[in-house]
Amino acid sequence: MKIATILLNRNLPKVTNSLAKTIKKNNDTDLYVVEAGSDNSKISKHCSWHAKWGSVKKKGLRFPRGMNYALSNLYKEKKFTKYDLFFLITNDTEFVTKKFDKKIISLFKKHTKLGILSPCAPNWGEKKLLKKNSIKYFWYIHNNAVIIRRDFIEDVCSLKKPGYINFLYDGNNFRGYGTESEIIAKAYLNNWAAAITRDIIISENESYLIKRSNLIKTEPYDLNMRLYIKEGLRWMKEKYGFKSKWSMQMYVKTFYDKFFEINPTLKKYKI
Amino acid sequence: MLSNIFQSIKEGKTLLGVGPMSKNCVDASIEISKKINCPIMLIASRRQIDCANQGGGYVNKWTTENFANYVKKKINNTKIFMCRDHGGPWQNNNEVKYKYNLNKAMKTAKRSFKIDIDNDFKILHIDTSIDIKRKKLDFNKSIERLFELYEYCYWYSKRKKKEILFEVGTEEQSGSTSTFEELENTLNEIQKRCLKFKLPFPTFIVIQSGTKVIERRNIGSFESHVRVSNELPVEIQLIKNLEICNKYRIFMKEHNADYLNADSIKWHPLLGIHASNVAPEFGVSETLALFKIFENESLKKFEEEFIDIAHKSNKWKKWVLDEKRLSQKEKAIICGHYVFSNQRVSEIKEELKEILKRKGIYLDNYLKENIKKSILRYLTGFGH
Repeated sequence: MKIATILLNRNLPKVTNSLAKTIKKNNDTDLYVVEAGSDNSKISKHCSWHAKWGSVKKKGLRFPRGMNYALSNLYKEKKFTKYDLFFLITNDTEFVTKKFDKKIISLFKKHTKLGILSPCAPNWGEKKLLKKNSIKYFWYIHNNAVIIRRDFIEDVCSLKKPGYINFLYDGNNFRGYGTESEIIAKAYLNNWAAAITRDIIISENESYLIKRSNLIKTEPYDLNMRLYIKEGLRWMKEKYGFKSKWSMQMYVKTFYDKFFEINPTLKKYKI
Repeated sequence: MLSNIFQSIKEGKTLLGVGPMSKNCVDASIEISKKINCPIMLIASRRQIDCANQGGGYVNKWTTENFANYVKKKINNTKIFMCRDHGGPWQNNNEVKYKYNLNKAMKTAKRSFKIDIDNDFKILHIDTSIDIKRKKLDFNKSIERLFELYEYCYWYSKRKKKEILFEVGTEEQSGSTSTFEELENTLNEIQKRCLKFKLPFPTFIVIQSGTKVIERRNIGSFESHVRVSNELPVEIQLIKNLEICNKYRIFMKEHNADYLNADSIKWHPLLGIHASNVAPEFGVSETLALFKIFENESLKKFEEEFIDIAHKSNKWKKWVLDEKRLSQKEKAIICGHYVFSNQRVSEIKEELKEILKRKGIYLDNYLKENIKKSILRYLTGFGH
């Protein structure tokens, strides 16, 4: 199985270069860096694509659009099918588990229904739930670092107009609150599972967003969080008629429960 | 009569527990329960209402005995249930103020429960989570004390031929969720001890569901959209806790559901939350209505006096995050219901009644209507 790692950067070349170096040094993976409207002087040396049209220069791409942009570019460049797995990360990711490639491949080989895999973080409550288990299937995963199986993407992706708005995520939800739940629902709906593993531990260094929002050229942290939630809730209401996070979660859980009815042998991975 | 409670839960509704914050709040609950024919639990803490022997409580200067007499006279054919919320040692201010030792605090807790049973309280919440010496009591000691009180209450109620339901559970206002290992351990231990002491399994268990009241907001994880460090997301925890409750055939009772938004309230029955307590929001509704009258009638002097009395009571302190950020008026709104029985506040209300009467407005009716609006927000959302 071959992994492509996609890294999203905006104006933090040093951080991105250092992260890219760690990844390349320890793992057998091809690395692609998306520059989400970075200034020309702040591009990582690993840059694969530089999105620099007006709105991106101004506001960036954020996770859903950034990943759609990268995946659809791979698709257009006919490189998409070269890979079995896509590891999607932002540049504030820090790897506690530096060598992840073999662990990921082993998990995806063992769990043939696994569509989405999230690493765990040292400060996640989910660790208590995983206990000594290496992996459990969840209906709710909140993370900006996920590994996605190509077969699953092919099952659910939009090929009508592949681009930063459409491919895997719904790019209409700019900051992405709720989009992770939407793809988990799509996974279970299509008989794929979403899991968290404690074999790979990563953490998110929020200090970049908190202290360097000026440098990144994004909104201050608090404002960004407020907009992330406000826009996400509006998107949920307009797209699904959901008025709260609970509606979205219970929607996903319905398909989660159904998945184990169809796949009773996998019940041991149910939380 | 208790069958109404089970019937309501069976129909997939969430039961509402109303904190009896004032006489008007009690009257409003009784009137709504009658009008829409739904069960309401009046959940009195020992600080609000306690037996005469313990000096009563701050609500309408009621003792348990007076409160019960008042309610019983009014509840023909209604589905109002008098309940004890957080009964147990050191739950009455005097027990803390006079630093009762364990023996004495357990003795007065038993006496308080005995009077509850004598006066037809129907649900007793036994909370042994606090200790005079420690901030949080360890699990084994807490459960030993719980069973000492449970045995006492159960056998006393049997002797008196009174049908009582029991609620157990510890810890208030964490704003997070109880972990399900903790919950499973607690229920397991309770089950073992119930078998050993030949006691029925309790009907309700208090579970932290991610609700926490600060000022006039609910800041717990129930409505939060961001991850809380070292905690399972409420979206997972709450659902797992409910599964465990259903496995043990015990109803989940949520505390501190005040100020949740309409959609969160609506999700309670859908999630399968069996019962939920709301208290200060109703007291605040009444205070806000009172302020509205002060404003409409240009009674600035009354308003200032009320603010002064409420502010000086310092009762706002436990509800406030940053006192410097809040005006004296805001603090008075937060804690106004604690001073409704204050002599001068009663006089102000009497004078106000006379002023309003001349205009054909009845003060208590006006205040009750405002409380009812708040109560109805929950009852409607809870599926009643």
